[in-house]
Amino acid sequence: MRRTTAFRAMAGIAAIALAVSACSADSSNNGDTITIGASLPLTGEFSQGGLDTQHGYETWVEMTNESGGLLGKPVKIIVRDDATTQDTAVSNYNNLISKDKVNLVLGSQSSLLNIPSSAVAEKNKMLFVCPSCGSPDMYNRGFKYIFFSQQTVATDQAKVFAEWIANLPAAQRPKTAAYPTLDDPFAGPVVEGAEKILSAAGIKTVYKDEYPATTKNFDPIVNAMRDAGAEIVVQGAQFEDGVNMIRSMNRAGYKPSIVYQSSSPTYGQQYLEGVGEQNAEGVFFSSSYSSLAKTHQNAEFIKKFEEKFGGLPPEDAADGFAAGQVLAAAVTAVGSIDDQAKLADWLRNNTVQTILGPLSWNADGSPKGEFLVGQWQGGVSQVVLPTDVATSDKILHWQGGPI
Amino acid sequence: MSTSTKTSAARLLDPRLQTMVTRAVVVVAAAVIVLFPLSPSMSAQNTMIMTLVLAIGASGLNVITGFTGYLSLSQGAFIGIGAYVGAVLAIRIPDVPPLVWVPVAGVFAAAIAMLLGLVTYRSRGPAFVIITVAFLFLAQFVAIQWVPVTNGTAGLTLPLPDWPEAWGNWPFHLVLVTLLALSLLMTWAIRRTKFGMGLIAIREDEGKAGTIGVNAPVYKLLAFGASALFVGMAGSAYGYYLSFVDPISMFSIVTSALIVLSVILGGRGTLFGPVLGAFIIQPVNTFANDTFGGGNARLVLFGGLLVLLVILLPRGILPTVAALLEKARTKGTVGLSGARLNPLDRPLLPVDVKRPAPTGRTLLEVRGLHKSFGGNHAVDDCSFTVPEGSITALIGPNGSGKTTVFNLISGTMIPDRGEILLNGERMERLSPWSRAHRGVGRTFQITRLFREMTVLENTVAPLRDFSVRQLGLDAVSGSEAARAAELLEFVGMSAYRNARAGSLSYGQQKLVELAQVLMLDPKLILLDEPAGGINPTLIERMGDLIRDLNAKGTTFLLVEHNMPFVVGLCDPIRVLARGAVIANGTPEQIQKDPLVLDAYLGDDYLLEAPSKAKQAANVPAVERNPA
Amino acid sequence: MTSFIQTLILGLLVGALYALMASGLTLIFGVMRVINLAHGAFAVLAAFLTFTLWKHLGLDPILSIPIVMAVMFAVGWLVYVAVIRHVRGSHVSMTVLATFGIALMLEGIMGFIWGNTSTAVRVSYTDASIALGPLYIPQVMLIAAGIAMLILGGLYLLLNHTWAGRAIRAASANEAGALLVGVSVATIAALTFAIGVSTLGAGGAMLSTIYPFLPGSHYQWIARLLAIVVLGGLGSLPGAILGALVIGVGEIAATSYLGAAWPVAVPFLVIIVVLITRPQGILGTRLREDAVA
Repeated sequence: MRRTTAFRAMAGIAAIALAVSACSADSSNNGDTITIGASLPLTGEFSQGGLDTQHGYETWVEMTNESGGLLGKPVKIIVRDDATTQDTAVSNYNNLISKDKVNLVLGSQSSLLNIPSSAVAEKNKMLFVCPSCGSPDMYNRGFKYIFFSQQTVATDQAKVFAEWIANLPAAQRPKTAAYPTLDDPFAGPVVEGAEKILSAAGIKTVYKDEYPATTKNFDPIVNAMRDAGAEIVVQGAQFEDGVNMIRSMNRAGYKPSIVYQSSSPTYGQQYLEGVGEQNAEGVFFSSSYSSLAKTHQNAEFIKKFEEKFGGLPPEDAADGFAAGQVLAAAVTAVGSIDDQAKLADWLRNNTVQTILGPLSWNADGSPKGEFLVGQWQGGVSQVVLPTDVATSDKILHWQGGPI
Repeated sequence: MSTSTKTSAARLLDPRLQTMVTRAVVVVAAAVIVLFPLSPSMSAQNTMIMTLVLAIGASGLNVITGFTGYLSLSQGAFIGIGAYVGAVLAIRIPDVPPLVWVPVAGVFAAAIAMLLGLVTYRSRGPAFVIITVAFLFLAQFVAIQWVPVTNGTAGLTLPLPDWPEAWGNWPFHLVLVTLLALSLLMTWAIRRTKFGMGLIAIREDEGKAGTIGVNAPVYKLLAFGASALFVGMAGSAYGYYLSFVDPISMFSIVTSALIVLSVILGGRGTLFGPVLGAFIIQPVNTFANDTFGGGNARLVLFGGLLVLLVILLPRGILPTVAALLEKARTKGTVGLSGARLNPLDRPLLPVDVKRPAPTGRTLLEVRGLHKSFGGNHAVDDCSFTVPEGSITALIGPNGSGKTTVFNLISGTMIPDRGEILLNGERMERLSPWSRAHRGVGRTFQITRLFREMTVLENTVAPLRDFSVRQLGLDAVSGSEAARAAELLEFVGMSAYRNARAGSLSYGQQKLVELAQVLMLDPKLILLDEPAGGINPTLIERMGDLIRDLNAKGTTFLLVEHNMPFVVGLCDPIRVLARGAVIANGTPEQIQKDPLVLDAYLGDDYLLEAPSKAKQAANVPAVERNPA
Repeated sequence: MTSFIQTLILGLLVGALYALMASGLTLIFGVMRVINLAHGAFAVLAAFLTFTLWKHLGLDPILSIPIVMAVMFAVGWLVYVAVIRHVRGSHVSMTVLATFGIALMLEGIMGFIWGNTSTAVRVSYTDASIALGPLYIPQVMLIAAGIAMLILGGLYLLLNHTWAGRAIRAASANEAGALLVGVSVATIAALTFAIGVSTLGAGGAMLSTIYPFLPGSHYQWIARLLAIVVLGGLGSLPGAILGALVIGVGEIAATSYLGAAWPVAVPFLVIIVVLITRPQGILGTRLREDAVA
């Protein structure tokens, strides 16, 4: 057939074009700067967190350069957008490592994206300090290069909160609980961990369900919780779903006395505007960070962040900054970036002071520590537990009234 | 046209030169692709792996979308299914190298694809596309919810490759290259066999394909399986390459859209088109990702590309280029369809050919047929018989339901009530292809050939009876093609065997359609207005052919308006009016029947004597005085 | 029992909104046999326009509906003339690809203009509800349902009591015939597309107050809308309304009785079941499978 000859010609030309492009090796890196690469969800479902983390990274880079850089060299960061898509994140990290030849990498935002991204770093034997790796699934793979720069993994993030509720005197302790959670490798375990503790203390589970990330309509869920008469709601949320749940509860006139949400309330002003200040009042959350805490470099971080971006830093930005701090600590202590295994070993055996407090790790890269429990009070995000580091001495019901 | 010196342009267009050059180019291209991991650029290697996966997906889709004409937006799902099967097996049986599961994943994906084929049995066109979209999302849903097996949204992490670091990406690359080669081989093989002809027939005209014995549901099922087999395997290898399999990216509709885009861009139905398309799309995708970031610019780019492609280059690159080359090459030449049929090309049939002695058996019987369309009773208690070995005519005024009766007999429609018996066996509920396999063939009033196929391919496409062996028979050469060539010779169209059927004139198409039907070796041939719309020379040839075939034992049922033709050719005549048979008998009896004259001819019609060569001594012409 | 009634109320209210959004899709399919995969993206565009009017002019979403409908009408006409016109009548793969391409472009353009973070319109009635004993009716959904019925009523009047409507129905039933009686099918096709996008615009405007949205939300919407028109019967407006109510209730019921993960699957399961068992949907007509062209 005459057609096939034309086809073959075209196919051949295309392949040759590809070959020509392949023959050029990837660009090499300038030896005078330290380049750090990261992929973040700047668009897509997790874009809020991605942008916040990017701000945290950028603040850290600027502050580091202002105080002389890393190992005396200026630091540059390349951030690529993965659009909340896992294979784009994988391909981004592949490119950052092999094409851009970055010296170091930092993690993406959300466990969903970091699970495969960390595998890329592991394959390339590069240190992977990760601001957002809360899923316990990340640490049973035998990886040696991954380190989570928050205080603890997801299953224990609600621990302090749950234990406090469990230890309330019987009169004040709620009898029934609802556990709606986002189907997500991070949010799910947070709620699982809380349920374990609360049900052991005799609080009956009257509603428990997982909803997909695309859920927008929470009315039926709220309906079910209301009908079941749950007095405490523990929600594993990302951001938008947490906001919608609150609004939906309002619409239905459903008012449980205690409301806990895993990530949403940490989004600062966005959350406040989303639910309305009155509705944010008394919402519990776990936080790795408090802007009022007197931790290492926190005051300077807040000042620089306000200068660059306006307003107080949300949790994801702080986590990003802390990841930078952890990376810097390892690099400075070891003195070089050539053998990243050495950096990993150093982190395993040492504690790093960060704006989140002191961080230290188990052999598998999961951190040993405790999360703070926060609560929105009067439009301000306060730390309420553990009591020794609390920034406020009251603890409230949802929408007001002390416990 | 000057023949003394060939201009340089003509030399460039010389097919032989082109073939040599392109063969050389293809060999070079294949070498480059196979040896690609030698490239020092890791990111280029990564792009190549993704391109190969896309190319395999596109090549597979080509079978169901390119050949069979069913647009599927779920092809990406089979990459995902293959990836999941490979990952699940790799994790549960850790001692076996994960690449061993590649074939298993392919077979599993093919099985699921065939299931999808079953589900879409009744769907065509837009409904089919919608179902494939639903299937894609459903597969994603299952992957998310079936947590014990798939680990839900957390995804499955595969162990890192355990071969020496020096091997790099070679194992992945070679596996994918092999799969692409196998996929292309399969596509090439399908195109050459009767199976492939049948698929293209389904694409061109599914209803007609049924009447020539192509069992569309089974063909589609097999096509689905073929389209997913290597894609599932590629998915398994790809999942291993990523070390991570998750439901969101593995079942993304954007992947399916890229695959469809590759097929359309390159040229669907062509062998290398989808591969070419993939080799253009994936690097552009990667480039856009790197330059603009994963987000909005890339969406606008691809969306715009899709829209522009559909508007400006709907046939794809390769067919458009081929058409341009063909146009340049055939400039100033005369198309085959312009040549006149010379009636002396074929020797005339001897005048005294014997009619076969009537056996007395009835081949076809129609009893009490009813068919209505809404309030319109097109066929209303119609009953008649067709004796074995006869040339029976079914005549009647326009709107009497003749074509509907034909449709009911050939299986294109199902009657509301009534029975149709072939050799005593009831067949009114059988599918069109089952009837074709039992020996019923029909032609259409408005010819329905497969326009994009050549005349020879059209003639090879019919399936006499269904068997896997039959499907695998070579259509381009071999016994089937020889038989088809013979039949084309018989009807006088062998000079046109390589012409595109769509380029023939109406009369030429009718002859080819007859050859098609003869491929079935039918007992009964239904001819829908064989003498309609053609010149007298061709009408004569038609008559000759019919008589010749009848002498060899084929029974005919004709619908015709050309009275001389009918009277000269047919013996039993049935007259249909308002959906029922009103008269039966020989031409003489019909001509005299007042009911017939009233319903059909009108009472002021003058019946002409039939043409001289035939009805010499038979019937005195009946004259009626004009009222 | 109250739980069941509450489920029904929520389902019917949300179904009314779905009906408004699906009406355009089925109309477009009926007249030009185009499956408009960009329908979801147009809805999100309308939502963003409403948001902008609210944010910068303080205009209440209900009041901005006429403006949004007019703008979306123009957008629909433009898109038709630029793209759809060329693929109308082509093989289904061409129309599918073309409209999918438009959807991707819209998503990207919306991302550029409005960003990719979750957006929502918050007005006084967003979180309020009317209590009826143990039941509650979210105010915003009641308003949305009311507006939906109003506009659907207008659409019905348009289709059945105006010349343009008759022309649309004629072109839908038999294009060649319509041409022969003097209907300019090209103009009617553009008009239908624009009307379809315009009614969707009203739906999108109300959408902005009920659900948060971002440019990528259109995928969920198109799956749901396709299920609705398939269930009701491709091309049938009453069918779309019926289908929308069924799916609205179905999704809410699925959450209440099967679990929060199931509503996502409702559209796909509906599509597959309907297209296997009764391809013409509830109220659609079976296309005549005639052998003669």
